[in-house]
Amino acid sequence: MSLGYRPGSGVLHRAHPFTVLSLAGAVAVLAFTLPAPIGPLLLTGGLIVIAMAAGVPRTLLTALAFAAPFWVFLILIHIVFGDSPDTAITVGSQITAMLVVFLMALAAVHPGRLVDAWLERAVPFHLAYLLVATLQSVPELQRRAAAILDAQRCRGLRVRGTVWGRVRSVVPLAVPLVLGALNEVDERALALEARGTSSGQRRTPLDPPPDRLAERVTRWLMLVAVLGTITWRIVG
Amino acid sequence: MTIALDKVRYRYPAADADALREITLAFGPGGVTLVTGRLGAGCSTLLLVAAGLAPHVTGGVRSGSVVTLGVDPASSEGRRQVAGRIGYLLPTPWTQLSGMSHTVREEVAFGPANLGWPRDRIARAVHGAMALVGIESLADRDPRTLSGGELQRAMLAGVTAMDPEVLLLDEPTLELDPEGARMVYRLLPVLARERTVVLATTDVDRAVDVAARVVLLDRGSVMADGTPDEVLATDGAVALGCSTTIAHIARVAGCVAPFPLTVRDAVRRFAR
Amino acid sequence: MSALRFERVWFGYGETPVLRDVSFDVRAGEAAALLGRNGAGKTTLTKLVVALLHPERGSVRVGDRTTEGRAPEHLAHQVAYVFQHPDQQLFARTVEAEVAYAPRLLHRGAPETDRRVGEALEWVGLEAMRDEHPYDLPAAQRKLVTLAAAIAQRPRVMVLDEPTQGLDRAGARRVADVVRRLTDERVAVLAVTHDVTFMAEALERALVLSEGEIAFDGPSADLVGDEGRASDLGLDVPSAAQLSAALGLPKRPIRVAAVAAALAEHLEAPRA
Repeated sequence: MSLGYRPGSGVLHRAHPFTVLSLAGAVAVLAFTLPAPIGPLLLTGGLIVIAMAAGVPRTLLTALAFAAPFWVFLILIHIVFGDSPDTAITVGSQITAMLVVFLMALAAVHPGRLVDAWLERAVPFHLAYLLVATLQSVPELQRRAAAILDAQRCRGLRVRGTVWGRVRSVVPLAVPLVLGALNEVDERALALEARGTSSGQRRTPLDPPPDRLAERVTRWLMLVAVLGTITWRIVG
Repeated sequence: MTIALDKVRYRYPAADADALREITLAFGPGGVTLVTGRLGAGCSTLLLVAAGLAPHVTGGVRSGSVVTLGVDPASSEGRRQVAGRIGYLLPTPWTQLSGMSHTVREEVAFGPANLGWPRDRIARAVHGAMALVGIESLADRDPRTLSGGELQRAMLAGVTAMDPEVLLLDEPTLELDPEGARMVYRLLPVLARERTVVLATTDVDRAVDVAARVVLLDRGSVMADGTPDEVLATDGAVALGCSTTIAHIARVAGCVAPFPLTVRDAVRRFAR
Repeated sequence: MSALRFERVWFGYGETPVLRDVSFDVRAGEAAALLGRNGAGKTTLTKLVVALLHPERGSVRVGDRTTEGRAPEHLAHQVAYVFQHPDQQLFARTVEAEVAYAPRLLHRGAPETDRRVGEALEWVGLEAMRDEHPYDLPAAQRKLVTLAAAIAQRPRVMVLDEPTQGLDRAGARRVADVVRRLTDERVAVLAVTHDVTFMAEALERALVLSEGEIAFDGPSADLVGDEGRASDLGLDVPSAAQLSAALGLPKRPIRVAAVAAALAEHLEAPRA
């Protein structure tokens, strides 16, 4: 289970990065502004269809796996309090929709293309790089955490067992993750500096993604939908 | 001379001793310069100071004068002037990844793109650098899936793609297998014909074959500076543990300085 | 008796096999080098030893039991693994606490833990650093801290991944001493390395992986003594062994001290 960019050639991979980000942004708003519970439920259903069509089934499964414990919890609450299932369905769908759309965006937006797209809109390189590097650090931290877990298990650390045992195992797992990352920050800074990042020149976008009319229209439509539902909420 | 250090002292932040003391050295193109010494002698620091990365990125305090490619590379004006003209390679390849690339080709293009070159020039430079380092077959691979050795060669290509006038290499073969290391060592004299190439390593056995000049550091000071024979064939260098295995063997076997440095030297001297 | 035995082991990530039909064993008190090009499957093999991975076919046996159904933490009293990069495990506030971690986890009492920690620090030469914070030490010494931590585990099988990488000659000699002391105590050592000089000093047996298969299994002196075979397998011949062969020294020694002694005799012998 890996979070982060995965190569592909589906509709989301081919789309302009801004379109995918707009979709994520729109879903984040629509999940709360559409009429519940049917709105969030349909939104989730729609995203699942998009994920299948975009050829990112593994990302979809990851998102659903993350959402599953929330569903279990919500259903339990519903049974205990015995109220209408609407709340459980609404909150569950909202969480699922957000997870699916964010993990999908993370998987389908190539960091280099995103930076290139920003550069084309005259966003300063350092800012663009910082944003992308933050997104990219998620899979990197995942890999490091796995390596640290391997090393400590070889020294006898038991990851399963009593609650107290688990609490105690946090230190040998978390400290190398933090200190190791801090240790590396200096080296990363040196390496970036040595590769001309402070040349004062405007960076050349290597492969600026084409921004088709249809995509621009789609983004406007999403904006209209978002504003429309917000207005409807306030007025209605 | 492309790099001139005059009475340079440097101390890392929060350190209680100078990493470099009164260093006066100059480097120029034409032949690889090997900088060596025991670990902690200051070899890596010397490269950082010559590149201006210390103290500009690392912090700390420098005194004395450093002039690289005509400017102080640690000043903010100097940073802009030397960008892309000083190639610097770290020993660990994964910390050098830009994090923006999904293929080796994109990774190699990262530096040239930062210099604002037109796309066709970038494409030519990337192609040339990958051919030079022999990684064309890796061009479409995800850099994160490469082995340490493959990745280090990709990083070397990324540095040479900027066509720097100065190349500063800190233990460049640390992550490489013997074939990869041999490939890098074959490449260095070629690169050094028209560029200033300074190689910092403790792997003297290999480096002695390509070095035209050796600078031996100890505790932040220059112990010796000259041809490999002048510097490494001495009692002092061997006693410090900084010469070649062959020189060490000759000294233990009771020979007197100057010691042979390579198998070829030793055979010439000792064969019956 | 074999301390570690691979029997017809197959392993792959996805479709392509990384290890094909690998069989070998390492006896108690034996030190074996695991060599091969970058990407030959060495790290995969060592992960199978500690049960971080399990074979798809065949079996891996540590002592008298296979690793099937067992996890690394179940094997920690028998197998220790020193990873290539120390920063993936160091966490304690002092060197001493770091080294004491495994003995404490394995429920050794305080006196036993203290004894083990003292001994391990003495072996790697870090007694004076016991109260330092591991991250305040230079990378080479951090590496020795992880080695000490593994020694304190008192394993029957010790796996070392590039133990001399990033060390200077004095550091590499220190690691060679540790390996000899381990084998004196009947520990089986398996060391992944590109450093053939270290192999010649400390590892009497060599296993070479090539494209997932064992391409050589025998005394390291045989591998080092056959330059043609070594270069076919992508390996270097250490310069001491090259000298020994070039001068035709009797019994073709490969260790530095032995070559020096033989050279001294060679030089004293009257010219034919």
